[in-house]
Amino acid sequence: MPLIQLTDVEKIYPLGNQQVVALSEFSLSIDKGEFTVLAGPSGSGKTTVLNLIGGIDQPTRGRIEIEGRDVGRRSTRALADFRLRHIGFIFQSYNLIPVLTAAENAEFTLMLQGMTKPARRARIRDLFADLGIGGLENRKPRDLSGGQQQRVAVARAMASHPAVILADEPTANLDSQTAEGLLDLMHRLNRQHHTTFIFSSHDPLVISRARRIVRLRDGRLEDDRVQQP
Amino acid sequence: MLLSLALRNIWRNKRRTLLTVSAMVVSSALLILALGIFSGMLNDMLAAATEQYRGHLVISMPGYQQDREIFNSFVPDFVLLEELDKDPDVLGVSPRLRGFGLLSHGHNTYPAELLGIRPRKERQVTNLEKHLTGGRYPAEEAADEALLGRGLAQKLGVEPGDELVFVTQAADGSIGNDLLTVTGIFATGDTTHDNSLVLVPLAWLQKVMVLENKVHEIALRIHRPDKASVLADRLSALLPGQLRIVTWGSLMPELQEAILSFDASRLIVAVILYLATGLGILNTVYMSVMERTREFGVLMAIGMRTWQIRLLVLSETLIMGLLSLIVGCGLGAFMTLYMQQVGIDLSRHLTPITYAGSTILPRLHAVNEAGNYLLPAVMLLIIALLAGWLPARRAAKLQPADALREE
Repeated sequence: MPLIQLTDVEKIYPLGNQQVVALSEFSLSIDKGEFTVLAGPSGSGKTTVLNLIGGIDQPTRGRIEIEGRDVGRRSTRALADFRLRHIGFIFQSYNLIPVLTAAENAEFTLMLQGMTKPARRARIRDLFADLGIGGLENRKPRDLSGGQQQRVAVARAMASHPAVILADEPTANLDSQTAEGLLDLMHRLNRQHHTTFIFSSHDPLVISRARRIVRLRDGRLEDDRVQQP
Repeated sequence: MLLSLALRNIWRNKRRTLLTVSAMVVSSALLILALGIFSGMLNDMLAAATEQYRGHLVISMPGYQQDREIFNSFVPDFVLLEELDKDPDVLGVSPRLRGFGLLSHGHNTYPAELLGIRPRKERQVTNLEKHLTGGRYPAEEAADEALLGRGLAQKLGVEPGDELVFVTQAADGSIGNDLLTVTGIFATGDTTHDNSLVLVPLAWLQKVMVLENKVHEIALRIHRPDKASVLADRLSALLPGQLRIVTWGSLMPELQEAILSFDASRLIVAVILYLATGLGILNTVYMSVMERTREFGVLMAIGMRTWQIRLLVLSETLIMGLLSLIVGCGLGAFMTLYMQQVGIDLSRHLTPITYAGSTILPRLHAVNEAGNYLLPAVMLLIIALLAGWLPARRAAKLQPADALREE
């Protein structure tokens, strides 16, 4: 059974009196431990797919299953719980909470899960060391570089050992060297922890480093292929 | 961490937070001061009515307080007076005889109300001695000394040391008359008393009215005027069968109504003042929530539940409310204390106003009462929560995907 299964998914957004079809007849299976990129131009539906898998948006039609459970038909509360336990998000513009320190940002999901403070701190210390940002725990996001902020965002996504990490254009605001480093890091985490990574990107660097490339155009699946390392 | 996040969110935009907190501080402090002055005015009115003339409780024959009938007198029981004197809730006991007649000096004659008193006992009940504008209070052993209101003294054209003639109908049907010597003049601001009241020795008036050893009432001053009814119920058990005890509230129902309506009045004042403050808080919190739409989207995406989002926003307003409350109560207490100690004298610009059977004095003077802090405190917190509720609801209703798209 695949970890993620999207079947005939359609997503339509109302825009004034019109309706915009963001995704149409879209089906996709992703197994545990995959390192997949959703590629395509802007408006092709990459972010919509990530949002639907992550349970922060719901399909107009079709079925989305994660570990065999239908994500699209859950209550708001159940979806929040699902995201907390199973999904890690990494955003293009990092989206760290500016008033919290790097460590507090990273441990936020653990706090929501009810983990004790000493246990949270221990987990974050190990994670920060692993991600090469040890010693930056008490800095505020504004005192970190873009690459450091994105690593903190990765730490936040990884902290609760989610089954899937969804990264929406994670390298868009990074220089190529920092982006390369971040991709190395994610590859390593993918290998070590068998965490499933799904990216959306039109960055050739990200696409070249992915094992599977799913191309979208105008909300439809254009191409789906596995590339050799 | 939620509380810590709420606290830090408050200080994100320090200037905006300080302005909002300042509005809450100033409104609660001003409300506390206004209620303190309002209480002070009511206390003045109660004191003017009870401590200048009537007393808090009055014992008399049935019907006397309504008709002031000369024959409705009684001989006060010595044991009863002793027991009343010893009661821990009673501050003073004064037997009185009341007579109405004409006072003359030279060619001037005016009607007057003469109150026969024992000066030492009357001082424990009323405080006319504090309102002397000339002369002195009658001496305890004096035979024919009179203390009269300034209005009456001016109409009669008398000063301390002058002689007066009092003429009245005595209880035996004869015409009672005698001479009095003016020893003092008082001015309370209450024109009813200043224009007609005269305090004279009890024994002198008993003799003129041929009511030997008799009085019309026993006036009492008590510790807690607000608990007068409770004490009246207890003391009525001590009274001989024919005597009745009445409270100041029964004697002056208009004044009692005015005081009872204070609770409603202060609620109305508080609602009006806080309505404006509440709109200010609402504006601030709404702006803060709107600015953080994307952030709420992130929080929801990483698993924060809607009730936690709502709690976060409400905590922010509640913390601002509590902070404002502490500072506002402190500032309010300081201003009230100043107005209690110093006050503002308006007698050069205003004259006393007779209202609800009493007198509103031309001064601003506050009293510190717990109720004047409790209402602003509770209402400020309610307003803060109400003002935070709408933005909190808006934040909790956000769709994470939509919120993340916000710039």
